[in-house]
Amino acid sequence: MKNRALNLISPVAFLVIWELLVALGALDRRFFPAPSETLARLLELLQNGELTTATVITLRRMAVGFVLAAVPAVVIGLLMGANRMARIILGPLITALYPVPKIALVPMVVILLGIGETSKVAIVAISVFFLVVIHTMAGVLNVEQRYFDIARNNGARPWDLLTTVAIPASLPNILTGINLALGFALTVIVGTELLLPQGGLGALIWKSYNVYDIPTIFAGLIVVALLGWAFTVIMGEVERQLLPWRVADAAPARRRLQDEPRLRRFVRTWWLAVRPFSFTASVTPVVLGSVLAAYDGAWSWLLFAITLVGSVSIHAGTNLINDFYDWKKGTDTPESLGPNRALKEGILTPQQVFWGGVFFFALGSGLGLYLVATRGLLILYLGIFSVLAGWFYTAGPAAFAYIGMGEIVVFIFMGPVMIMGSYFVQMQSVNWNVFLVSIPIGLLVACILHANNMRDIEDDRANNKRTLANLLGRKASRWEYYVLIGGSYLTLVLLVLFGVAPPFVLLALLTLPKAAGLMRTAAVHEAPARLNKVIRGTADLHERFGWLMIAGILAAMVAQVV
Amino acid sequence: MAIIETAALTKVFPGPDRREINALGPVDLTVEAGEFICIVGPSGCGKSTLLRILAGLEQPTQGTMTAEATDLQRPFNSMVFQGDSTFPWLTVHANVEYGLRVRGVPYRERDEIAARMLRTVGLSGYAEAYPYQLSGGMRQRVALARALANDPEVLLMDEPFGALDAQNRALLQDELLYIWDQTGDSAGGGARKTILFVTHSIDEALVLGDRVLVMTAAPGRIKAEIRAPFARPRRTHELKRDPVFGELSYQIWEALRDEVDAARASELRGQR
Ligand SMILES: Nc1ncnc2c1ncn2[C@@H]1O[C@H](COP(=O)(O)OP(=O)(O)OP(=O)(O)O)[C@@H](O)[C@H]1O
Ligand SMILES: [Mg+2]
Repeated sequence: MKNRALNLISPVAFLVIWELLVALGALDRRFFPAPSETLARLLELLQNGELTTATVITLRRMAVGFVLAAVPAVVIGLLMGANRMARIILGPLITALYPVPKIALVPMVVILLGIGETSKVAIVAISVFFLVVIHTMAGVLNVEQRYFDIARNNGARPWDLLTTVAIPASLPNILTGINLALGFALTVIVGTELLLPQGGLGALIWKSYNVYDIPTIFAGLIVVALLGWAFTVIMGEVERQLLPWRVADAAPARRRLQDEPRLRRFVRTWWLAVRPFSFTASVTPVVLGSVLAAYDGAWSWLLFAITLVGSVSIHAGTNLINDFYDWKKGTDTPESLGPNRALKEGILTPQQVFWGGVFFFALGSGLGLYLVATRGLLILYLGIFSVLAGWFYTAGPAAFAYIGMGEIVVFIFMGPVMIMGSYFVQMQSVNWNVFLVSIPIGLLVACILHANNMRDIEDDRANNKRTLANLLGRKASRWEYYVLIGGSYLTLVLLVLFGVAPPFVLLALLTLPKAAGLMRTAAVHEAPARLNKVIRGTADLHERFGWLMIAGILAAMVAQVV
Repeated sequence: MAIIETAALTKVFPGPDRREINALGPVDLTVEAGEFICIVGPSGCGKSTLLRILAGLEQPTQGTMTAEATDLQRPFNSMVFQGDSTFPWLTVHANVEYGLRVRGVPYRERDEIAARMLRTVGLSGYAEAYPYQLSGGMRQRVALARALANDPEVLLMDEPFGALDAQNRALLQDELLYIWDQTGDSAGGGARKTILFVTHSIDEALVLGDRVLVMTAAPGRIKAEIRAPFARPRRTHELKRDPVFGELSYQIWEALRDEVDAARASELRGQR
């Protein structure tokens, strides 16, 4: 694992030597601009929007072609894998066309479809189609016969064989096909844009070549490389999400913390201590608020970074301080299930945890003050409000959490306040639309808390802690759970129906099966162990729902630009 | 009343070089409803093939099989396959409720049944784990729980305890006998299950079965039938001190030994 750092040696050395050779005059800068020059050009092109526009155009062509081809390709691949007749009839055509270099089809496609967008999308679609068909078919054909036997012996009908055996078992192959197809589509679309230079990264590169603007060529190449890398990373994450059953070969055995070299031990210790898995609760609203502002036309990377790092710091600080006080109160003894492993295993002393919390608070407040100074007092009010709410959440005679107000407070501050605040940082104003869009996220955050309270109904009652859950009782609190979850989906749909949010945010409906599963589990179980799963599942739902909404808004932006 | 009857059942597989593999038979077998039958025989003699034909997963080459389902509400048979038969893409819990799910049993009911079966096989703590996180023996228990969850009239069990350690094996033998006895009570829900149980362990066959069938080397026929006349409910470890047990165990081994030798010899011929 030390090798991670060693990985960097060759590319860094390469760049440094390049830079030196240019500086010494050994390389002609007209052909090989120094890396620093390329970087400067890259930033310049980002600033004037040229590069962003080109990237968006390329991505849009890829996205449209990809969706148009991948969906039928999976269906046809499944059909060919499952049905011998389909294989015999379609197989020869597919295998004959598969190896044709797709870029060589450009002339034919142009003759048929002209030189407009259609032909570029078509080229992408053709490239994607065959790869996905072939991998899907191979996936189904490779499913071991015994799985079908087992399924049939358990009463599965042909449709069940498809949905419960063939598809899940071949999903790894399908995803491999999609992964390869993404990389291939990128290659092909950039190539096509070189041949038909009308917008897009390929066209940018080609035009720069014509005017001998070498740094821009390199800048374009860097973006293409970054896109390819991003696809790989995203697909890796998608696979981890969709294939939880695969042997975790990607995660190598972790070294024990004590055996790590010092710097890595330091980083990993604090990483554990701040409980990064809880961060999505604060990251999602910040990203959503900022992206909403971008959708409305205001965006600054710097402000975004500051808002994000600032809120995560505050969140980390809160976690640490909470752990410190829990430890002080003695609820987090080694036997208990307290969340802070670093403290529990004695890797950090309580004092270290406390001062770590202070550090993160200071960092977060510093960044917050910068925002107050540059973006306006509203941030300060929101900040003070949030701190007060955080304080009175568990402290004081009428702590919100103890009088059944927890959900409402969490809803307001982890929903509308954070989202509208992040929006304001970018936009310098807020409006009701932002508030409305923030409702589903707020409801889901409240739902996480409520799931917690459902688990703790008995404990809280014993401790005189009144939560909405134990005030309502077991049965009604289940209804509260349904209402919170159902409410977020209902709001989402209404937002789209009334034109408050772009239709793309309906992507978040993809999480419906998960929500249904959670509601069913919550409907049946009372055992804390089972409800623990509901809590984790709800947090997961909040995260996915939020990111899909964000993806939807980004998609709407891409659709808008072109 | 006979629940399963076969007449001159044979199976021939197409082999390499256009040769034919005589895998099974002819087998004439009558299984009474509620009977517990154990089958022993040398490796490769066709035991799995016989069960697969009885399960309807394989068509016999010749001969007939008749099965008399009495309760149309329940599935007729469920098989515990030889070797790992969990679905790797489903959690343990989802594996166990698989049969109930495809038959459309409502969520609440099947969730309850699956949880109960997981308790029976001692895997409650692993409900949300995926099979790759389990040992071979644990996966075998998941497969057993799935078959039991289906509540079939006939259980076809192909070396279900083969991958288990001795302790778990003994525990699950008792558990299986208990379940089988219970389903025989009028309180336990009507007719007792019929069980066909393939094993390589002579002791296991005697401990569990009403009858032990000894099969010949391939193509497997039924060579001998030994009744296990022990009273039920049986205490498995006490049974082994019974002198009759030793005598019967010896008889079965005598019947089996020639067949094992024959199977060895033909395997060696096959290698040459
Ligand atoms: N699908 C098949 N195609 C061809 N031959 C097969 C097939 N299935 C089984 N056989 C052959 O049929 C014979 C009987 O196989 P079977 O699996 O029934 O044996 P078995 O008695 O269960 O053995 P074991 O105790 O080792 O599990 C073997 O010779 C095997 O090679
Ligand atoms: Mg077998």
